[in-house]
Amino acid sequence: MATPKGLAVAALLLAAVVATMPEALGRDLLITGAKPDRLYVIDPATRRIESEFRIPGANGLVGSIVPSPDGRIAYVLINRMESIVGVDLKSGKIVFRADLSRPGERVKDFFAFAVTPDGKELIAYELPTLLKPNEYQVEEPRFAVFRTSAGLKAGPVRRFAAPRRIHMLLMRPDGRSFYALGFDLYEYDVKTGKLLGTRGIQKWELPGHTQPDLLAFWPVTEPTGVFTSPLYSDERVGGNTVPKTALMSLDLASGTLDYHDFEPLAALIFSTVLSPDRKTAYGVYTTLTRIDVQSHALAGRVPLDHTFYAVNMASDGHELYLGGAMCDVGFYDAATLHKNAVLKLPGCADQSLASLRVIHAR
Amino acid sequence: MSELKPTNRKAELLLKAAQDGHVAEVVAMDTVAGCATTFDPGWEVDPFGGVASLCQPMEADLYGCSDPCWWPAQVPDTMNTYPDWDAGKPSAQNDWRELDAVFPKK
Repeated sequence: MATPKGLAVAALLLAAVVATMPEALGRDLLITGAKPDRLYVIDPATRRIESEFRIPGANGLVGSIVPSPDGRIAYVLINRMESIVGVDLKSGKIVFRADLSRPGERVKDFFAFAVTPDGKELIAYELPTLLKPNEYQVEEPRFAVFRTSAGLKAGPVRRFAAPRRIHMLLMRPDGRSFYALGFDLYEYDVKTGKLLGTRGIQKWELPGHTQPDLLAFWPVTEPTGVFTSPLYSDERVGGNTVPKTALMSLDLASGTLDYHDFEPLAALIFSTVLSPDRKTAYGVYTTLTRIDVQSHALAGRVPLDHTFYAVNMASDGHELYLGGAMCDVGFYDAATLHKNAVLKLPGCADQSLASLRVIHAR
Repeated sequence: MSELKPTNRKAELLLKAAQDGHVAEVVAMDTVAGCATTFDPGWEVDPFGGVASLCQPMEADLYGCSDPCWWPAQVPDTMNTYPDWDAGKPSAQNDWRELDAVFPKK
């Protein structure tokens, strides 16, 4: 029989265990954006919009969304890819704004930015162009680092050279480096900007395959800390080539980069998400696709009501969330791929390229 | 190539690249986005010459393509030149009739 002291110790141990369980993070909440300037917080349990925020100066575009590590702020690419704002997800207040362009220099950020694990710095990819009276002068691309505490007129505290054609930044959990995904996969030191390594994608020499290709604009790493994307190449079979779709995965913690064909190219183009047990991946296009990650095989497919760009997943793996493109967020059973529910956004405003992210309620 | 004549500087550079053996460095798509940087077919045809692999309906893909200036020959350049093309028309499936052609400003 447990003594009162024993019960107290057991309670403390239980509390410690609970604190390390995913449930201790709080219930899942979905974050998405829609035209022209809206940011939505959605409760997937009730299928209801919990908050609707307006982002001043969005200028018709609400694009990539990167939650702060504590889930309190959503950093959002807006203003035709020329500004990044931080939106407090409790109040909707804009707590950070970096306008990348300045008079005479137009700066675009094609989807790519990341926040350090301590939440103190934001790294943006900048494509600058000098707007001269009689010509546009294309400048070299660069990374710009901002302090997230800088308020509404944030300016870069440091910059360093970047390659061209980057479209996604992914922070590593140790906070020392980040990945930049483009023609290849680059890794940079956060503090010094030193290039630490270059791997994949076009540099991959895959046996029996042509140079691979991908279209990855959706920076989803939840719930596993692994980024995945469809990736395409031609497999050489005899004298012919057969277009193939592979699943590429990048474990942000270990740095492991994998590539495995799983079907002929035809049905999956946009984004994928990896299940919490890392055994299954799911992808969207005009169909919802299930991929057996261990056998590298197509494991299921159902048609969708329309094309979706973005897919994400419940932290416990029971349900899939579909977004992007049009004005509805879909809720699908992960085991059966059955459509459980659809939530229409107000005014049927398009999500377009807005990320669909999962955070945990606080 | 002998039957094709370049009509602008970009095409001349491509022809020169082919003559110099550098044409393999010209790579289509592969994560490139932005006005006039993609070589994708548009909404008329999918990568296999049909329509089955296109986004469905095309309205689902309309703003996702115009926002990053994916196919500037088919929709206005909303990133730079016509940022207000979709102003007041947040729903492609409901507002597509109001998405007009654009013309250079005088």
